[in-house]
Amino acid sequence: MTLPTDQHTEGKKNVTFRVFRFNPQVDSKPYFDDYTIPVEKGITVLRSLNYIKEHIDGSVSFRAFCQAGICGSCGMRVNGLSQLACTTQVWDVLAKSREPGIIKVEPLRNLPLIKDLIVDMDPLVDKMKRYSNWVDSTMPEAEMGKKEFLISEEEFLRYDKATDCILCASCVSECSILRANKEYVSPAVLLKSYRMSVDSRDSLHEQRLAELVKDHGVWDCTHCYRCQESCVKSIPIMDAIHGIREDAIESRGMKDTSGSKHAEAFMMDIEKKGKLVEATLPIRTNGVVWTMQNLLPMALKMIMKRRTPPPPPLVKSAKGIKIFRQMFREMTEHVKQDHKSHQ
Amino acid sequence: MKPFDIVIVGGGGAGLYAAMEAMKTNPALNIAVLSKVYPNRSHTSAAQGGANAALANKAKDDTVEMHIFDTIKGSDYLADQDAVDVLCSEAPKIIRELENIGTPWSRMEDNTIAQRPFGGAGRPRCCYCSDKTGHTILQTLYEQCLKKGVKFFNEYFALNLSVSGSRSNGLIAMNMKSGKVEAFPAKTVILATGGYAKMYWNRSSNAAGNTGDGQAIAYRAGIPMKDMEFVQFHPTGLRKSGLLVTEGARGEGGYLLNKDGERFMARYAPEKMELGPRDLVSRSLETEILQGRGFDSPAGKYLHLDLTHLGADLIKSRLPQIREMSMNFEGVDPIEEPIPVRPTAHYSMGGIDTDNQTRTVMEGVYAAGECACVSVHGANRLGGNSLLDILVFGRIAGRTAAEEAGKFTPNTISEAELTEQLQEIRGGMHAAGHYERYGELREELGQTLALNVGIFREASLLQKGIADIAELKERFKKVRIFDTSDVFNTNLMQVLELKNMLDLAETVAAGAYARQESRGSHTRIDFPVRDDANWHKHTMATLVKGKVTLGEKPVTMGRYELQERTY
Repeated sequence: MTLPTDQHTEGKKNVTFRVFRFNPQVDSKPYFDDYTIPVEKGITVLRSLNYIKEHIDGSVSFRAFCQAGICGSCGMRVNGLSQLACTTQVWDVLAKSREPGIIKVEPLRNLPLIKDLIVDMDPLVDKMKRYSNWVDSTMPEAEMGKKEFLISEEEFLRYDKATDCILCASCVSECSILRANKEYVSPAVLLKSYRMSVDSRDSLHEQRLAELVKDHGVWDCTHCYRCQESCVKSIPIMDAIHGIREDAIESRGMKDTSGSKHAEAFMMDIEKKGKLVEATLPIRTNGVVWTMQNLLPMALKMIMKRRTPPPPPLVKSAKGIKIFRQMFREMTEHVKQDHKSHQ
Repeated sequence: MKPFDIVIVGGGGAGLYAAMEAMKTNPALNIAVLSKVYPNRSHTSAAQGGANAALANKAKDDTVEMHIFDTIKGSDYLADQDAVDVLCSEAPKIIRELENIGTPWSRMEDNTIAQRPFGGAGRPRCCYCSDKTGHTILQTLYEQCLKKGVKFFNEYFALNLSVSGSRSNGLIAMNMKSGKVEAFPAKTVILATGGYAKMYWNRSSNAAGNTGDGQAIAYRAGIPMKDMEFVQFHPTGLRKSGLLVTEGARGEGGYLLNKDGERFMARYAPEKMELGPRDLVSRSLETEILQGRGFDSPAGKYLHLDLTHLGADLIKSRLPQIREMSMNFEGVDPIEEPIPVRPTAHYSMGGIDTDNQTRTVMEGVYAAGECACVSVHGANRLGGNSLLDILVFGRIAGRTAAEEAGKFTPNTISEAELTEQLQEIRGGMHAAGHYERYGELREELGQTLALNVGIFREASLLQKGIADIAELKERFKKVRIFDTSDVFNTNLMQVLELKNMLDLAETVAAGAYARQESRGSHTRIDFPVRDDANWHKHTMATLVKGKVTLGEKPVTMGRYELQERTY
């Protein structure tokens, strides 16, 4: 059995697709089924799955629609990495496969499992609603259709890349915060929020931002960059997240959230010592009361295990701190000027 | 379930616009949108090029009237001229409205919406957002529907209309997540499920789900299908997959070349060249291939779409998606080398017969978008007019249904009817003697359609096509469903989609066989000229006692007399 393609000269490889299986009606826990098929160069993971479904096992369940990388239906984990099955070449995956000849196919993480490779997308939609992921036009409904907003190419370029998002949820699946906290806003929703907020036609900026700085919001991101690395459309998602944070500090000031205070404390440490003074970071971020209530048990455990960070007086300045401070001041100056020229 | 005022089937551009407009017209109405996919997955997202509107941002002398004429001429005079009036007159308003609610558009230097030339258009009037126009429109409409609190029933597969006499009681659908067959009693139903060109399967640019579900539902309920034989082949599908390279690529200045490196369009459309209308350009490519001037490969014969002279900057900024697709699916970077292309089934001009207000012959049932045939595209649709069609008529459908819902008293859908439906789809599922594989049947359907009901047609081929479809329908009775579960049974769904395609394929082939002339996308080798005396009329296909029965309907004329169509 061979999938049709035109590169007969390239030969075929026997590939085992190790597919995650779970049918909630009969299975108490998930398992894997192996399907081995010969695959030629140029065949995608989706075409292979279609072949398995049509010719070997009709019960293997997955979503697929456009098959051209634009609808976002077939997000899944291929050898551990979240991506679109329809744009992923089997041979490319094989070349990097840890187990030779085996491709493991699993559902996206961080969304409730429905069956086999199908996960529930509703939580993502609910978050789009919570964070008002739409433009609330400054134009009254009665006036609509009469004239265009005049928008510069420069403004268009601010959200152009972000509007490439096809909500495939690869970033959601890869996000390390979501693994710990399912309520976290999630990278795709932050990206969309950013896209709306830099659109001059939108009037919800303040309201959206007020929601984004609450718990489970923009300050929960830990900059692991996995969302950006896994984005199937190569969207710089972290730029959007940073954009929202800068926006929050600029328009809401430093004092309203622990996130912004954390960022400020970070910056002060770096400027002063060239490294972090970790022992006091929680106090400066969340205050003494919160730290005593929430971190004391952990601090005690850390002491028992001799894992405590050094007390502030023992944190020496990093080597070359003078040159570093100079550079730091220049950078800060640059950023300030940048902000001014944007306004 | 409490009866709905409006049930919208389909969450693409037409369905979402209908929902938005209906809520605007009367916020008190109880409205539901059913979709077999999450709405943002709908095939509207694949429309790359743009939407036509005589905004006159680029060509200051462009007018609505010119847009109307181009559309009528493009349709080979089969479009109803009053419907085209509506389409083109509403166009500037609806594009501005979309802009006003937040759709991103590429911009001109004076900060107005950017426009570019498109096939068959006298002026550059195609409004676009790089090559992701459909995607950005769909996202915007979905966002706005979420904002308005539209009730979505995602991943519900529509099965049938429930009908009493001349009116519908609502819709019966399967909840994919549970496998349950559920009733949606409704005063009005809007069918907006998209096209049926996926019946050409591997020779189609369409998404796997563009299987004509809405048309098949209407057809089974006795509503006539109009002009089903008119299927548009897009000139530039990727060689291997049939996936689409937007007309925008030629709009930006791409060349079509044969194996001798010749810009062969000079032979067929010396004035418009690569920007001739789609039917003509598709036939030109097919002719080049038939006459031995195509390239050869195991995946089939093909021609070149050359963008290399446009330069890396333009390709990256205006056609990024095309570049990505060429690289993913053909291994070709269009900055470096030409893209291998051949015509691919792309769009269904035919569909559910409606009036200009989207009403069908059945009371309380409306249809809009590619699912419907008003008709604004006639025998051939112009590029950039399909996004426009779904927006304009999606909105009209939403408004009309909202205004007319009050006329109808709600009916109910009986438990017995649901049980009957469930038995029909699940009953024979695992019975002994079921052995046919749906994948094979589906592929064979696509093959026979491409071969016998394709770009060039003639009586003997069409007879073969009709016989093949009949045989496939017989074999379908023995189809096996391997997945026995209730939860998300995609195996079952694909079998039901195949059934819809088989039902509709019959109407396409029957219409093509009956129409003894060549007009627009319908080319009969045995009847090579347009025959206005006998065939300037719509084909109507109705299901009568299980058989496709053909009738006709006159074309509504207006300001434009019949003329020969040259470019």
